[in-house]
Amino acid sequence: MATGNLKKDINSALNNDNLTGALGRFGEAYLPAREKAYEGKDFEAIREKVSQCKRNAADNLEKLAEQFATQAVKNGAKVFRAKTGEEAKEYIAKIARDHNVKTIIKSKSMASEEIHLNDYLMKHAGIEEVAETDLGEWIIQLCGQRPSHMVMPAIHMTRGEVAEIFSKETNQNLEPDIAKLVKVARENLRNKFLKAEMGISGANIAIAESGTLVMCTNEGNGRLTTTVPPVHVVLVGLEKLVEKFEDVGPILEALPRSATGQKLTSYVTMMTGPTPAIDLDGNIVEQKEMHIVLMDNGRTEMRNDPMFKQALQCIRCASCLNVCPVFQQVGGHVYGHVYTGGIGTILTAFLNSFEKAGELQNLCLRCERCKTYCPGKIDLPGLIAELRRRTVKKEGLPMSQKLILEKVLTNRKLFHSLIRTASVAQKPFVKGNVIRHLPLFFSGLTEGRSLPAVASTPLRDKVGRAVPTGKPKAKVGYYAGCLGDFVYPEQGEAAYKVLNKMGMEVIFPMEQTCCGIPATQMGAPEVAVTLAKQNIEAFEKEGLDYIVSLCPTCVEVLKHHYVDQLKDDPAWKARAEKFAAKVIDFPTFVTKYGQDLKFKNLGTKVTYHDSCHMKRVLNVWKEPRELLNKAGVELVEMKGCDDCCGFGGSYSVKMPEISKAILEKKINNTTATNAAVLALDCPGCKMQIAGGIDAKGKNIAVKHTVELLADALK
Amino acid sequence: MSVQAKTSYDALYKEFKGKAEALSAEVYRVPNMEEAHQLITKIIGELNVNKVVYAPSELVDAVDVKKIATATGVVMTSENLRQNAADAGLGISQLDYAVAEIGALAGNATSIESRMVSILTPIHMAVVRTSNLLPNLMETIATYNNKLGELPRYLTFVSGPSRTSDIERVLTIGVHGPGRLIIVFID
Repeated sequence: MATGNLKKDINSALNNDNLTGALGRFGEAYLPAREKAYEGKDFEAIREKVSQCKRNAADNLEKLAEQFATQAVKNGAKVFRAKTGEEAKEYIAKIARDHNVKTIIKSKSMASEEIHLNDYLMKHAGIEEVAETDLGEWIIQLCGQRPSHMVMPAIHMTRGEVAEIFSKETNQNLEPDIAKLVKVARENLRNKFLKAEMGISGANIAIAESGTLVMCTNEGNGRLTTTVPPVHVVLVGLEKLVEKFEDVGPILEALPRSATGQKLTSYVTMMTGPTPAIDLDGNIVEQKEMHIVLMDNGRTEMRNDPMFKQALQCIRCASCLNVCPVFQQVGGHVYGHVYTGGIGTILTAFLNSFEKAGELQNLCLRCERCKTYCPGKIDLPGLIAELRRRTVKKEGLPMSQKLILEKVLTNRKLFHSLIRTASVAQKPFVKGNVIRHLPLFFSGLTEGRSLPAVASTPLRDKVGRAVPTGKPKAKVGYYAGCLGDFVYPEQGEAAYKVLNKMGMEVIFPMEQTCCGIPATQMGAPEVAVTLAKQNIEAFEKEGLDYIVSLCPTCVEVLKHHYVDQLKDDPAWKARAEKFAAKVIDFPTFVTKYGQDLKFKNLGTKVTYHDSCHMKRVLNVWKEPRELLNKAGVELVEMKGCDDCCGFGGSYSVKMPEISKAILEKKINNTTATNAAVLALDCPGCKMQIAGGIDAKGKNIAVKHTVELLADALK
Repeated sequence: MSVQAKTSYDALYKEFKGKAEALSAEVYRVPNMEEAHQLITKIIGELNVNKVVYAPSELVDAVDVKKIATATGVVMTSENLRQNAADAGLGISQLDYAVAEIGALAGNATSIESRMVSILTPIHMAVVRTSNLLPNLMETIATYNNKLGELPRYLTFVSGPSRTSDIERVLTIGVHGPGRLIIVFID
């Protein structure tokens, strides 16, 4: 995979202060605006309706396309079904030539960006100018860039840069005053609107039942484009189809709220057939020409893919970009194509190139944030992981990774003995309790980054079967996870202490091994299946009531992935289900069954970091706070408490620059609270944040919640 | 309007006014046509504009814009709008519904006049019947859905004046469309 360019783009984005400043401010303003727009609304109910009607449309894509075309023709429009971008471009060029068009105004069309329509029309249809009329689009058109965001294409630029671009265009010396710059755009584009012979627009929704096109805009350029010129071309992708007029209800409830935090955009236009226009001489044209180009360009292929069909549920609100910690650091241009961010990675695979997308999936942290905000209920991180899997299937894993995954990770004894060897071998490299190199995630043995030392004695040698005083209430299997076993045994010991105090008998099944997530993430699902079976077997033997773990990602894998991974093998599926039903995360387990626990007052000032998979996958965030309060800490919330820390498993090794930039933000938010301790519930986050805090020489202890609980036990 | 109906519209109007003003629209309400005429005459007098364009419609005609032109001395026209709307100071058109929950107006803008006067001028004045206030967007969609066969060719929703946040996400009012939206409810 050619990551050379991607890495270069990432580095230049991270070093662009203008970019990171604009994106940072935007990212911070977006969430409260969105929340306010959804006030009094049931987001879950709305997104259920949105995803339902979009899923229905995807299921019946061809039927709806035909129905739409028939209806639109009945309404008086001309409809062209374009299989490819090439066909769409040729058709639009022909319309332009037929009408002897020289100037075109355009608004609201990502589809035209997707097929590079402007370029084509200038080169092949004798067009002198295709003016983008959306302010952001115009800005980037003038400076020859690509949009960096689906809704706010020039969000990556500052007023100073815009002033420079406009000064050049108008031959004036313009100040970086936003209101004045907007006025310059109004004045310059007004003439273009009045003189254009053809208007090209896109659409947000295409309704099969009535042949209606719905368009949302704020600036009014969409209304001008569809009103003033006597010829109007609408370029719309098949994915915009919905079956019924009433389907626009939920989409309009969600789209502006999720996109820009508005209850509705300033203008929503619903066009059902051509309307009257005035030609350049002032004569009224009773029915102007309206051409609708219904474009496929990879969308049917996407629909026919059982997994990626889901991506057609997207309503293009771009909230997956708005909440993405990676996008906030590097912007849209590193994605290298028209569609950016999470959904962009997926769309690029089908509408542009699978190879490019295979590389882009490396940008995803799997923090799952986009998934919680997506009004189309698309499992974006899941689809991005699938892209990875398919790339690996096609290209194969690099030899070193293949060897480690297949030969080492599936051989527990070898795997564990190698880690033990590392704990001895690392000794010359240990500085304090941090070492430089550790083959822990097996992705890059010598990539430069600080990691914690492997403990001299792993948890499995310190604990075994621990019986509480009195009659045990239940038999609990302890799942340590690699970090919990070999790096942070003290967390496991603390857990044993708390669990015993709760009256639980705790057992450490010795044959437990890696949960398999690194294999899944690297695109080696067969390795993950082997590990799943090993773990299920190891725990089955013990006759347990519960299986508890301190790591949210391990819990996710044990509880949810195994059943899915083994679903085609009936016998193993049944075993996986039985096993999964017993798995529970630590904070939930203690909240549920540890109500009799007595604590002394710790009195420490503590801030809490929500780990991505704990909060968004397991939906656990109230429980740890409740426990911390019981332990008598003074809990102060930090800004962005559920923002990702940038760890993301092997991500921190694969994308160290981005990981570090995201971590920096987390550390700044942590220190701003003046807390003495940062509490969290994920060993991976601990490794990342503690490493960062250590490197910065800050005096804040990073502790797993369980350690504070154990300290506070009476 | 019955007393009972009036009370329910009072509540919807109040909600609409709050929501629309939050979007920088200016909202007025008058009890009858005569007062509508007076209010609009007063507003035009204060706007200091020379040319006003309008889209003929039931409500706009009833307000009697010609008489307003005489009283205020402005040029008032609905002719040759490619030219006239482009340099007029104000455009007047009727919209059909007002959506209380989000402060938006909706209506049939199929006629070229209706569209030209509402998108080319720097100020747009929309007149609307108070009795056509609807509680929310879903009901507005349902209202049009009930008469799907008669769907206007150009159905428009307007909430507040034209706006952008494309530069540094700083909200700026008035881009390609009107920078001011004045809404007059007539009971």
